[in-house]
Amino acid sequence: MTFDMLFFVAPAAIGGISAGLAALISITDKIVNNYGDITIDINNGKKELVVKGGQPMLFGLAGEGIFVPSACGGRGSCGACKVKVKSDVGPVMPTEVPYLTKEELADDIRLSCQIKLKQDVDIEIPEELFNVQEFQATIERIRDVTHDIKEVYCKLPEGMEITFTSGQYGQFEVPPYDKVKEKTMRAYSMSSPPSDKNHLEFLIRLVPGGIVTSYVHQYLQEGQKVRLVGPFGDFFVRDTDAQMICVAGGSGMAPFKSIFQDMLDRGTFDDRDIWYFFGARTKKDVYYLDWLYKLDEEHERFHFVPALSEPQPEDNWDGPTGLITEVLDSYLKNTISQETPKEGYLCGSPGMLDACIKVMGDNDMETEKIYFDKFA
Amino acid sequence: MKMSPEYTKAQENMQPGVITSDGFLGDDTRNIVDIIEADEEEFSRLGMDFDEVVGILRRLLEEGRKGLGEPVTIDGKWIVTTTEARGHLASPFEDGIYRKVNALIEHAPGGTPDGTSLLVSDLSLHLMEKNHFLQGKGASFRIDPETVKKVLEL
Amino acid sequence: MNAAPVLNPFALFFASIFTSNILLANFLGMCSFISISKDMKSSNGLGMAVTVVLTVTTALNWVILNYVLIPLNVQYLRYIVFIISIAAVVQMLEMIIDRVSQALYMSLGIFLPLITVNCAILGVSLFMEIRNYTFLQSVIYGLGSGLGWWLAIMLLSAIRKKTEKAPVPAGLKGPGITVITIGFMAMAFIGFSGMLAVQ
Repeated sequence: MTFDMLFFVAPAAIGGISAGLAALISITDKIVNNYGDITIDINNGKKELVVKGGQPMLFGLAGEGIFVPSACGGRGSCGACKVKVKSDVGPVMPTEVPYLTKEELADDIRLSCQIKLKQDVDIEIPEELFNVQEFQATIERIRDVTHDIKEVYCKLPEGMEITFTSGQYGQFEVPPYDKVKEKTMRAYSMSSPPSDKNHLEFLIRLVPGGIVTSYVHQYLQEGQKVRLVGPFGDFFVRDTDAQMICVAGGSGMAPFKSIFQDMLDRGTFDDRDIWYFFGARTKKDVYYLDWLYKLDEEHERFHFVPALSEPQPEDNWDGPTGLITEVLDSYLKNTISQETPKEGYLCGSPGMLDACIKVMGDNDMETEKIYFDKFA
Repeated sequence: MKMSPEYTKAQENMQPGVITSDGFLGDDTRNIVDIIEADEEEFSRLGMDFDEVVGILRRLLEEGRKGLGEPVTIDGKWIVTTTEARGHLASPFEDGIYRKVNALIEHAPGGTPDGTSLLVSDLSLHLMEKNHFLQGKGASFRIDPETVKKVLEL
Repeated sequence: MNAAPVLNPFALFFASIFTSNILLANFLGMCSFISISKDMKSSNGLGMAVTVVLTVTTALNWVILNYVLIPLNVQYLRYIVFIISIAAVVQMLEMIIDRVSQALYMSLGIFLPLITVNCAILGVSLFMEIRNYTFLQSVIYGLGSGLGWWLAIMLLSAIRKKTEKAPVPAGLKGPGITVITIGFMAMAFIGFSGMLAVQ
């Protein structure tokens, strides 16, 4: 064989073999990664979805209009998208374990973003997720209610309405911006009442380093379109005669604004005693004061107790001072009737929830009658 | 500089969208070992000790948590606002998961913020303590040595 | 070129598992052998993966060698070609394992792609060429070597379970005592070498 020929034969041989193997790989890929259509059976046949296999369950469900709550968008970092999986989908992934408690593991709870749809599955999800809708809403108004909290009022698309229970939350999606390369979703309680069926309002407090809150505070414009998904959550007023002991701080005002307005709309606001404790640092962190003071004045059974932890001299504050938990404790001990049963309603950071639950427990309130949202 | 596989993996985990949407590197293009080395030099130049600084920052974060989300004045020098979210974040070095607790530490001599502030989190303090990693320039949670000196009055 | 050796396939099969164990007689495929044997479950998975990869790649490489490289007289390309075909097989295997057993896929983790550079795989293909095996012999030799590798790693991980709790001097803990263990195992296996011919 001549030298010249070799120059041609050797690369051709390698090229040919590589091409053959590459073809083989792509054929395998086609066969192996084609899962066909998969049936998801939800809540014992209440709903049956046929989706494309191979994708994570979270996305498969979302594609069919079932929005399992997720704060991280399927990255497996929020642990919100829990579903009960009744059929065998293989063992729990190491990526799921940190987000599942022992009880949840024993109960076959899994993170739907980590489960690849490979065969037909039976799952159980809360029925109210069937009501969850998706909206391309328009920002109608953005208003500063304090130096770091914005009231964002969104209009739903023409012809679409939302039905929810006051106290529930929705998910707010912002587009990629700056260094953030993906769409990001966060959950916020609705602050608008359910009677306003064409709008959703949120109170969004700037969180330093927070992706969605920074966007809302720096970039969000009136007239812009945003994607909203909701409603979610089981934080709502229980229909009893018990006194409502409501505690909030910062943007935790949102569900209570919705709840009180809803009770006013329905005419049930005067049916029971309501105590509303609102904690802030200084006077510039308190808002909706006029509305709340007016409610306090006009409704005998409604009591608004704002408390400042570090009032400034210029605030001329003569109301209660101290941490909201201290004020709550003193009211529970001295002011609020001991005879009538009580229910606790809380909205705030995990730290605040824990502290309030402890104070309420110490004052003989039943833990199972203290309600709060778990997403915060 | 050549990086060990652990650091290469950690650096991948620090990209936007892996653990946090905006990542740990900001717009810094250096390798993490170079970032760590430069910050270590900067720390010793400024006469600061990593463990000591972490200790102070961690105390401020824990004190700040007592405000239950509202800002707290500490020692008359700092105003600390903590924000908590449920859930945990994994460390990019894959050596643990950390609470989602952030603290904005504002230098406020006499009660008024003077504009210098530090943003720390449970995770950023862990990275600082364990790996001397202060995050890339331009990252939201970058703990800049110069700023540390100013804010903590060291 | 020698004539194709007349070799009883059964003898070859057992020889490649026991008397000419690829790990303990040829010392090939050491790095994953040492690192994975810490954990019995992953050892089992990797052993299985190595067995499949070995069988498939040896057969595939035999076909490529005899129907492409030799006719074109470019045998000197065998190293690069063998490595390409091994890489391709591992790729496919990875996809298949991901589909069939997510748990095995997760537990193999990085080691599955690392099989690509496991020298036992390339070694077996090269032995196949040097020894002028027929197709059947190549498949049997690949399968046998894989099973031998699997057996060896299972043995080692079982022994390591014991040495973990044994009072090993601090400096020898981990890899140190493991290498010594491998030495003893190799001596035991080499004791049988030559009982069965592989060529």
